Amino acid sequence: MGHRPDELGIITRGSLLEGVEMKLSPGRSVEDITAGKFVVIEGEKHEFFSMITDVRLDVTNAQILSNPPSRENTLLRQVLSGTSTYTTVMLRPMLMLRRGENAPNDRVPEPVKTIPTHFATVYEADEEDVRCIFGGESQDRKYFNVGTPLDMETPVCLNLDRFVERSNGIFGKTGTGKTFLTRLVLSGLIKNEKAVNFIFDMHSEYGWGAIKETGGSKQDFVKGLKQIFGSRVAIFTLDPDSSRRRKVLADHEVLIGYDQIAVEDVIPLQDELSLHPTAMEAAYSVWAKYKNDWMEALLNWGDEDIKSLADSLGVHYESLAALYRKLRRLRNFKFLVPKTSEDLIKKIMEYMDKGTHIVLEFGRESSMLCYLLVANILTRRIHELYVNRTEEYLATQNPADKPKHLVITIEEAHKFLNPRASKQTIFGTIARELRKYYVSLLVVDQRPSGIDDEILSQIGTKIIALLNDERDIQAVLTGVSNPAGLRSVLASLDSKQQALILGHAVPMPVVIRSRDYDEQFYKEMGLLLEKEREEKIAADIEALFG
Amino acid sequence: MMKETHIAEVIESNTTEMIAQCTVLHCSPPFGSFVKVNLAEGTEPAIYGLVFNVVTSSIEPNRRAMAYGKTEEELRKEQPQIFELLKTEFQAHLVGYRDQTGIKQILPSQPPRIHSFVYACSLAEVREFTRQCDYLRTLFTISQVPPDELIIATIRNTLDAHGEDSPHYLVQVGKELSRLLRDDYDRLSSILRRISP
Repeated sequence: MGHRPDELGIITRGSLLEGVEMKLSPGRSVEDITAGKFVVIEGEKHEFFSMITDVRLDVTNAQILSNPPSRENTLLRQVLSGTSTYTTVMLRPMLMLRRGENAPNDRVPEPVKTIPTHFATVYEADEEDVRCIFGGESQDRKYFNVGTPLDMETPVCLNLDRFVERSNGIFGKTGTGKTFLTRLVLSGLIKNEKAVNFIFDMHSEYGWGAIKETGGSKQDFVKGLKQIFGSRVAIFTLDPDSSRRRKVLADHEVLIGYDQIAVEDVIPLQDELSLHPTAMEAAYSVWAKYKNDWMEALLNWGDEDIKSLADSLGVHYESLAALYRKLRRLRNFKFLVPKTSEDLIKKIMEYMDKGTHIVLEFGRESSMLCYLLVANILTRRIHELYVNRTEEYLATQNPADKPKHLVITIEEAHKFLNPRASKQTIFGTIARELRKYYVSLLVVDQRPSGIDDEILSQIGTKIIALLNDERDIQAVLTGVSNPAGLRSVLASLDSKQQALILGHAVPMPVVIRSRDYDEQFYKEMGLLLEKEREEKIAADIEALFG
Repeated sequence: MMKETHIAEVIESNTTEMIAQCTVLHCSPPFGSFVKVNLAEGTEPAIYGLVFNVVTSSIEPNRRAMAYGKTEEELRKEQPQIFELLKTEFQAHLVGYRDQTGIKQILPSQPPRIHSFVYACSLAEVREFTRQCDYLRTLFTISQVPPDELIIATIRNTLDAHGEDSPHYLVQVGKELSRLLRDDYDRLSSILRRISP
């Protein structure tokens, strides 16, 4: 090919299963070789795009180790380096591309099915390679730039079409930039109109401005989705007072009637409320009699005479009393009211049908109990509606009836998707059902080991920031072939702005430095500056009225 | 081009070695230095040899020099004739030759002719010849002298020829030696220790 100047080394051995080994060129310093770096192996018939997974110091003669050259003996050190003492770099080929005259013009990377020949030369990947593999935003609207590979400038793009097809996960220790990555991905989905988003914004960070962690004492504010995308995003709030204090323009105040709470919404609260299984049976009994009004009935009866209710239902008095005592706490939530004048779900669907993305702010109601309850109630209803609509669409097969793809973003996902809850909550169902009903999840979590394995293995694309806990690392790599190499890459990520992306939406795993979330980004997302906005309005008025 | 003066004359040769007698007693080229000799009559000197053994002895094969118990100065005054009865010879291992295409580090097809003159190699020639290190391998096959000593002497002699580039040259030679010694780390470090200027 001839356009590659920087030879890194040559391939000496390896296997398809375990990856290949490269002997580093004598002139190269091992300290320039970083795990996660993106390299190209130029084989005879293919180029292999690979990732550096491990680096090892080797000697040909064990005697050198027992009597290593002293610090002064630079000549001996120089002589040994590259001959008797050398560096072996482990590479994992991820994709291959035909080369030579047989290669088609529009070369498409294929999964690796073989390995390069002996002594194939390894080069650092260049910008052209990155573009070839990850596509460019200019090629197609389905590509969305999320950052750049380490030490490179060419953007790495997510294939959003593929991204929304499955449920996805964003993982990382606290403070590693999960929220930023999530905001970035959501911006992509909103801008390219690939799906309509419903975001459970537990800490009120997505809709309106949030504090940027700069590491130093200086703190900046960044714009939220509503500020960037304007009317394409609606903010719903559970705590209008908090929204008002933060000067957030909420579009809608959320009120949930008791009649909208089903027993299934309470089951996931077992852990939070420490409810006994018999209490759940009691809840079903109340429901059997009062149907949708069961919650109101229980709370009213409980205040007066729980015993006679237990008798009339034929359930154990203690269980029912316990259920009542625990559920009494729900009365403290201001957004829960006995009756509501309008149907919240209908309102939400109205917005979503127009393609408006919804951020649900919890404000001060950020207790886990509240979060779990609201997320369950809403998601279950929305999912139900989507199932109905999908069935209608299957019946009519009319493209106009096709439901808009919905992505539900949940934080602290392990609370919904832990092995116990995932069998019962609607989120478990969504994660498993995949796109059948046009609903998928964007799971944001700092403790992936708490999530059910079955669900983790179904997650399509994973964006992983730094994780330290061995169990967490093991958990996020569930369902990944040959996790050993990626494990070392994960452990060596920086704690800021770096993430490993792997899965369905990228052709190969890649470590990125995430895109800056700054003025430039707002502009590229279509946000106009104050002055430009005025000019545009003037131009629009001019165009409208002549 | 200035006519070079020869330092010795070939008196015996075979495919791998030659023996030359020095024109001046005790004035042999140093152990481990490069010499050159004509490939054929009337051509530029083009066979390269490496001096590996120097002998000074009586010109009569069956006579030996005797101890007189006097300094060389006293002897030269009193018995000048005995120095005429001595000769200095050296053995050189053939390490390569030059033809139209350049330097080859392989044995010449014909050994040097008897009575050809032997010249010392200039620094430029040494530099050109030692750009490749393949000749080092043949030095290990010489049995008359310890090969390590010969290699140390040779490399020390060639260092000057490489001038400022000598640190880089040393590393290159070192790497070649490391291969030749098959990772015999102790031997390699001993050689390198003694080579370092």
